[in-house]
Amino acid sequence: MTSEHHGYEPKPTDAEIEAIVVEAIAAEAALARAEAAPPSSAIVWWRAQMRARQEAARAADRPISIVHGFAIACAAGLALSLIGSAIAGVRGSSGWLVDVYRSFSTTAAPLASIASIDLTSRWVTLPITAMLISGLVATVAVYFIFADE
Amino acid sequence: MADVTFLDVRRLQAEADAADVALAMDEDAFRAFYDRTAGALWGYLSRTSGDRQVADDLLQESYYRLLKATVPFESEAHRRNYLYRIATNLVRDAKRGPRPLFDAGVEMSDMPAPESRVDAEGRADVRRAFGRLKPRERALLWLAYAHGSSHTEIADVLGVKTGSIKLLLFRARRKLAATLQPKVKA
Repeated sequence: MTSEHHGYEPKPTDAEIEAIVVEAIAAEAALARAEAAPPSSAIVWWRAQMRARQEAARAADRPISIVHGFAIACAAGLALSLIGSAIAGVRGSSGWLVDVYRSFSTTAAPLASIASIDLTSRWVTLPITAMLISGLVATVAVYFIFADE
Repeated sequence: MADVTFLDVRRLQAEADAADVALAMDEDAFRAFYDRTAGALWGYLSRTSGDRQVADDLLQESYYRLLKATVPFESEAHRRNYLYRIATNLVRDAKRGPRPLFDAGVEMSDMPAPESRVDAEGRADVRRAFGRLKPRERALLWLAYAHGSSHTEIADVLGVKTGSIKLLLFRARRKLAATLQPKVKA
């Protein structure tokens, strides 16, 4: 009696399984060959050349970017030191102005009030610092705009 | 091959000549190698990634990376295996992306007109079954049965030991056959 008479099908052998797979993949491979439409070698070569060129240019630009960053950091440091000097200078000159005014007039009360401004207060230093930083950023932005062109 | 006019090629050549960049092959050698391998590689990429758009992108990327490689190739076969290894890695990386590959998998509208509805359904089944395999299993089966690669070549491409290819192939075969014919147990 065969297995069909017992109501079950025999398991496929490894060779049969391989035949199923080989047939399926061979059909799919034939279809893939028919579908394949790769771009021409000239286009692929050209794209590769262009990309290699762009990457080379980017690699060459990288040290320049580092120098730009260093220059900006130096400029920022310089600007901060100038801000410090300017604040000290303003304090000194305002005191000197009050002294001059006092020498001419005994009613120097209004000018004295200017000298009494506390330049270390954040309400004074913050706007001044913001203005100076804005100026610095604007200068750097203008530089990059024209550098690109 | 996609249609390109003679003028396009001349223009592209002129622009490429102007580019002073070093690649691993000269133009003539590359174009000859490309013409011998591109169709088969596209088939491999489209079937292992399950997406034609991805295959198009990865084809260009594979050849670019080959051109940038500094490996001294001993033979044509070595170069081809290296190319397939690049392609395999690219497919594996692409699978990590958000785009689903082999999803409901069959772009029937894009297929060439099948001889009959039965053929179309059969092919859809094959693709669906192929899509249920892991990328490495697809690559294994495709290299073994579509390209007829040896175990050594497959191991070289997939970066696994030659001795393990037989077992991996055995498992992949059973898995594909089980999906195609349910009476086969994976």
